[in-house]
Amino acid sequence: MQRVSLKIVGASGQGINSVGEVLAKGLKREGYCVFGYREYPSLIKGGHASYQLDISNESVRGSVRVVDVLLTLNHHGLQRNLDDVKEGGLLIHNVLSWKFSKEDEERLQKRRIKVVYLPVEALLQKMAAQPILGNVLLSAFLWAAFGRKIDALKAMVGERYAKKKHLLDLNMQCIDEGYRFVDPATGPVSVSLPPPDPQWRDHLLLTGSHAVGLGAVHAGVRFFAGYPMTPASPILSYIAEIQNKTGMAVKQAEDEITAAQLVSGAMHMGTRALTATSGGGFDLMTETLSLNGMIENPVVFIVAQRPGPATGLPTWTAQGDLFLAVHSGHGEYPRCVMALADSDDAFHLLPEAFNLAEEFQIPVLVLTDKHLGEALFCQVPYDQSKTQLRRGKLVTEPAALAALKASDRYDPSPADGVSPRWLPGAEAATYCAQGDEHDPDGTVDEGAENARLQMEKRMRKQETLKVRLPEPAYAGAEQPQVLLVSWGSTKPVIEDVLRDEALKGQRIGWLHYTYLWPLKTEKLAALARKAKKTVLVEGNHQGQLGKLLRQESGIEITDTILKYDGRPFFHDELVERLQSFFPAKGRRSVPRPTLA
Amino acid sequence: MGIPLDNSGPTMKDYASPNQCTWCDGCGDYGIWTALKEALVELKIPPTRVLLCYDVGCHGNMSDKLKGYRFHGLHGRVLPFAAGAKIANMALPVMAVGGDGASFSEGVGHLVHAVRSNYPVTFILHNNANYGLTTGQASSLTKRGEKMNTSPNGIPERTLSSMDFVFSLEPTFVARGFSGNIWQLKEILKAAITHRGFGFVDVLQACPSYNHFATHDYLLEKCYDCWKEGHDPSDFKKARKLAVDTSRRIATGVLYQNKDVPNFYEELLPRQGKATTLVNEVALQDVSELMKDFA
Repeated sequence: MQRVSLKIVGASGQGINSVGEVLAKGLKREGYCVFGYREYPSLIKGGHASYQLDISNESVRGSVRVVDVLLTLNHHGLQRNLDDVKEGGLLIHNVLSWKFSKEDEERLQKRRIKVVYLPVEALLQKMAAQPILGNVLLSAFLWAAFGRKIDALKAMVGERYAKKKHLLDLNMQCIDEGYRFVDPATGPVSVSLPPPDPQWRDHLLLTGSHAVGLGAVHAGVRFFAGYPMTPASPILSYIAEIQNKTGMAVKQAEDEITAAQLVSGAMHMGTRALTATSGGGFDLMTETLSLNGMIENPVVFIVAQRPGPATGLPTWTAQGDLFLAVHSGHGEYPRCVMALADSDDAFHLLPEAFNLAEEFQIPVLVLTDKHLGEALFCQVPYDQSKTQLRRGKLVTEPAALAALKASDRYDPSPADGVSPRWLPGAEAATYCAQGDEHDPDGTVDEGAENARLQMEKRMRKQETLKVRLPEPAYAGAEQPQVLLVSWGSTKPVIEDVLRDEALKGQRIGWLHYTYLWPLKTEKLAALARKAKKTVLVEGNHQGQLGKLLRQESGIEITDTILKYDGRPFFHDELVERLQSFFPAKGRRSVPRPTLA
Repeated sequence: MGIPLDNSGPTMKDYASPNQCTWCDGCGDYGIWTALKEALVELKIPPTRVLLCYDVGCHGNMSDKLKGYRFHGLHGRVLPFAAGAKIANMALPVMAVGGDGASFSEGVGHLVHAVRSNYPVTFILHNNANYGLTTGQASSLTKRGEKMNTSPNGIPERTLSSMDFVFSLEPTFVARGFSGNIWQLKEILKAAITHRGFGFVDVLQACPSYNHFATHDYLLEKCYDCWKEGHDPSDFKKARKLAVDTSRRIATGVLYQNKDVPNFYEELLPRQGKATTLVNEVALQDVSELMKDFA
């Protein structure tokens, strides 16, 4: 598999995202799979940010650490990012009269890195164009380097400015200038891409947060309340952006407690409502979570993880809130914790989260993270034909409603723990959704026998759910030498890595968890017995899934690939770390893409 | 708004619960409990067509002492729960009930934003000027200097001027009732329930166990019906003055009402002109059109 990577660095607000987005969309339309990855500090202007595209004609769903092409929009990139460029790679910049230090100069020469200076400012001045158009110029230069035809880029940019003629003309001029620019010092440069594959043209290009938003709309979510917090905010932004199309009620709440209570009230009334937050905001929501456990109110909260504790690394990624999700809220109550892996999950699991919440009348926590939320995926258009709407024991038929007694609401007798639910406004016996321990109709009851029965009723739902949930997905060797165990957003990069030439011929098996609580362990037990080594891959310090697995199955996983520096697992990094579990003689070197 | 008219109408019996009341002798909650049921009955709202949401405090022990769809949640958090419920189903009247302890301390942020958002929800404030259920600690509305549980020397903080505070938020409906004047409180609640936006109803009540200052007798003597004295509830300035100044007499009745301000739901552009509620719109939605944005 041939893949090419492009990293664009610069200050936040300089427009690195717009170059990245234009190229991503353009290349996808040309027939390439692109995977976009952003790094940025927690500020609006300045700092040092990046937008990376990994490109191939085959599926590519992760980023490499060391890239083929680096484009830097300021001098910081020329100082800080030199080691990010592969040997034989290309470095493009727009910094007037830049002189590398002697050491850097030697480093670049030794690693045969070509440096192209693109005099953006001068070219823009010539056209009397504003600085913002520099991004178009740079995009066009890269477009040419990738060997793409100019008309395709013009058509795409033209779509955007169709109604703004004066801007359109300038944009086209910039495309012409950038496309034909040649640095006299290097001569023409080109980055060789593999031949395109038309299948990618029909794919969607979206972030995990867009996918969550689409999944929520599809699931029948009619109300969204949230409080801004990275990396959950893009979900709120997207849902707010499309509200006039969806007809959804959207509320930016005054805090996370409010958001949690608003959606709880709305769910209690009988609609589907959603909120999304990150760790700190979720901390504030946990009392409400516990309340929903007690009143058996279905709710779905999205927890978009970022590194903590405290404010931590606000714009970076982590898988550090698994324990939090599993143990959040006071008291004992049933819940479901699931983790999204990619843009496919993000869409298809949202309806499922609501189905499970309503069927079991429990809180469902959906874990995502910054990496998944902001990564740009090539996604097959979603198949909506197989989605189910399941609302469990929700009673809506008039005759059935009329037959209900108030004491049916929290009837402790059903074997599965799930009692009938009906909505305020229904022509039926009325009950109290009671946050105090209660008898079957919601009357406060502090009796010992009642407390025992109600606790057992609620916790039976957890057992029923455990039986219902699927085992984790397994892929790879039937008799694995190394068994990987992972969850959440590590899936796409692991999938790529296992297809990597460097690991070819190794007997690797891979167990990926989507449902994390209640936790199924039978499949793990069977596979761990077969494997020589079981290795945990997690984006946290403690190996949280590993600890939960040990708690639930007694199996202790001692080999780990853990990461907790705010960055996702990079493709090349994960290949290396995996290789360390195999004898050195079996290793192959990774072929490098050719750059002319 | 959105309240169905059913001519047959419920009776007090329809709201009666077999559960025994557990409030103290002489507690103001009895009066509020009665006035609430009477208001619902007179508005012909049957128990199946209302959601009564309770905060945590002595008042919350009303949650299983009457019929109707009810919810009993967390301390301080009743307002956003009630607002979410109402937004989901505008056809059902939703009432939130809370105490002064929760509403002016732990949940004060929610109160601010509920007023500001003008949620179409009625809020009944059980105002006994202390935390009753946790055995008589000072609330932010307790008179300064009173010796309370946990503050044997009286509290060091100033008393919060609750009415001045609420008026500073530009409310659209402010009323004050007295738990001893059940007939008037019922009329106030009827006006609040039929109000377009957020109806703030401050109910002064006795707490015979822990409030030794504003007793039932004290309130009986000081409260007067401002309707009878011709108060015009459309005058914001006069209403605020009347509400805040309780030094000689305490005005009760609807102090202020502005019927022209749209409520939160009416302000939501995507919901305008929709006859359905969010509850009956739950179905799998086709996202084909939205997917086109990502092609």
